Amino acid sequence: MKSKVFLMLKKELREVFRDKKSLSMMLLTPFLIPFLIIGISLLFDSQVNSSLDDFNKMGFTYEFDFAEEDMAKYYNLDYKTGNEEEIKKLYDEKKIDLYIKKIDNTYEINYDENNEKSAQTVYLAEKFLESYKKYRQQKYLQEHNINSEEALEVINITYNTINKKEDNFYVNYTVGYAFLFVIMAITISATYPATDATAGEKERGTLETLLAFPIKSKDIILGKFLSVSTTSIITGLFGFLLSLVALFYSNKWFSIYEDLNILPSLPTILVTILIIVLYSFLISGLCVAIASKAKSFKEAQSALTPLTFICFFPGMISFMANIKTTNLIALIPFINHIQIFNDVNSGNINSLHILLMVASIIIFVSLVLAYIIREYKSEDILFRN
Amino acid sequence: MIEVKKIKKEFEKSTKRRKKIKFYAVNDISIEATDGKIIGILGPNGAGKTTLLRIIAGIMEASSGKVLYDRKTFEEAELDIKKNIAYLSGNTKIYQSITPYELLDMCLRFYEFPKDKINSRILEISKLLEIDEFLYNRISKLSTGQMQRVNLARCMVHNPKYYILDEATSGLDIISSQIILDFIKEEKKKKKIILYSTHYMEEAENICDYVYLIDKGKIIMEGTPKEIKQKTKTTNLRDSFFKIIGGFNEK
Repeated sequence: MKSKVFLMLKKELREVFRDKKSLSMMLLTPFLIPFLIIGISLLFDSQVNSSLDDFNKMGFTYEFDFAEEDMAKYYNLDYKTGNEEEIKKLYDEKKIDLYIKKIDNTYEINYDENNEKSAQTVYLAEKFLESYKKYRQQKYLQEHNINSEEALEVINITYNTINKKEDNFYVNYTVGYAFLFVIMAITISATYPATDATAGEKERGTLETLLAFPIKSKDIILGKFLSVSTTSIITGLFGFLLSLVALFYSNKWFSIYEDLNILPSLPTILVTILIIVLYSFLISGLCVAIASKAKSFKEAQSALTPLTFICFFPGMISFMANIKTTNLIALIPFINHIQIFNDVNSGNINSLHILLMVASIIIFVSLVLAYIIREYKSEDILFRN
Repeated sequence: MIEVKKIKKEFEKSTKRRKKIKFYAVNDISIEATDGKIIGILGPNGAGKTTLLRIIAGIMEASSGKVLYDRKTFEEAELDIKKNIAYLSGNTKIYQSITPYELLDMCLRFYEFPKDKINSRILEISKLLEIDEFLYNRISKLSTGQMQRVNLARCMVHNPKYYILDEATSGLDIISSQIILDFIKEEKKKKKIILYSTHYMEEAENICDYVYLIDKGKIIMEGTPKEIKQKTKTTNLRDSFFKIIGGFNEK
């Protein structure tokens, strides 16, 4: 029996490796992952670094003194001064994002809460006014012969980080998304060979030839399932390798990752490889099950398209919603692998959760395979057209 | 010996009003094929020939009845029986992305042919069917006739005892058809059993020892071509068939 399964696997893999479409699905899809990782890093980096330059346009309804001029230069303000009417006009023309009105010793920041740019500029305006306030306080104390340092710093606040956080928001997002891209590449990669090996074989008329061989339908299905799994694993591992390369270079190129180690640790890499293998089996089983029920190649492709989204979204939601992994969640396919990846990536390795995930995926795949083997004997599946 | 005993195959079809009704594609058919005989299964398209031969080849299951190969059923020895069957039909296609050599190698391994004899067997069969010139070219690059010869090689490479050939010459040019017919005659000499279905009555008349005429899933007449012609008082099987159909309908 084993040799027949191996023969089927060999036959299927030969077809996959000689078919340009299958090969491109298997090997080209992972090439998109580095671009997506670098794209996300670039987006985050530009958001962080552009904050000061993009949100610094403001107006003042009064003239600056020397100290204010120096501080405006220090904070790189792109400012205009003038009377209230002139400044308001500039604001209405959207040449400035907010303006500050001075009434005696009160400085009023006028901004639009519904406008993101205006709201962001408030942060810089506050910093500027706080610094000016401190300068005025120091000056006042000096004029009254009071030691300003003693008066202003009656107490000191210092920070000592006991357990330094290695990652940050951007690192979590980028690494999490890199993993989701790998999962998506596996899903996409599994659909074409699964369709080709089942509905495609039926459509090309080679299925009847195959059924005439002295081979059991169980061996046919196992051979097909293993070949789809093999291509998915190749895609997953290749995609993961390219992700690591992309993360390595992103770590070097982008300032948001400065002083941080964005690359996953060795345990994370090992668990990720395990997840890639398990997920490949899971998705391959489902794809073969769905595609084998289709009458034609086209019908199989239509049936498998929603699967790409169904597989991606539960994981994405669990990643975005920051759900805590419980024993129950570790048992739910399509969510457990994302949860366990996130846990391991955060340094929380829970062996029980990993075992539950492995067990649940093995049971799920076995059930799917048993279902396909039973269905593959059905003439309605094999001969309807 | 192949014995087909009271085979019935029920299918469902939809009516104009999408109501599902059951019908028999094969209805109570019994056939016997002994060693060294070519048995013709003749009938128009849709008569039930393909379904019957699929059941005999073990690709489909009958709703009722039995198929016995040397007194063994598929339930008793499916893989052993299939090892000795060669199934070729107009519907069976071969893998396009591999070479004839790879195809034959794969088939022999499926049929558990001795590994050390695989290469010599492939070379022997390729010479016999004149496919040795393109043995290492991709099948997708071959002409229809060449492809059909490869399909025939695929079918006989494991030296089977029983041949089930369903519309094997359908759509082929005269040379490719003749290669298949010559091959059938050669295999008959080796005491092989050949079940041969066709809707080309002249072809069947030339090669078949015994003929079953089938229409609407039922055997409407059986006998040697000579007997059938005598019974229907016609000079060829085509006329016999039309005469029987007419008579059958009048009944």
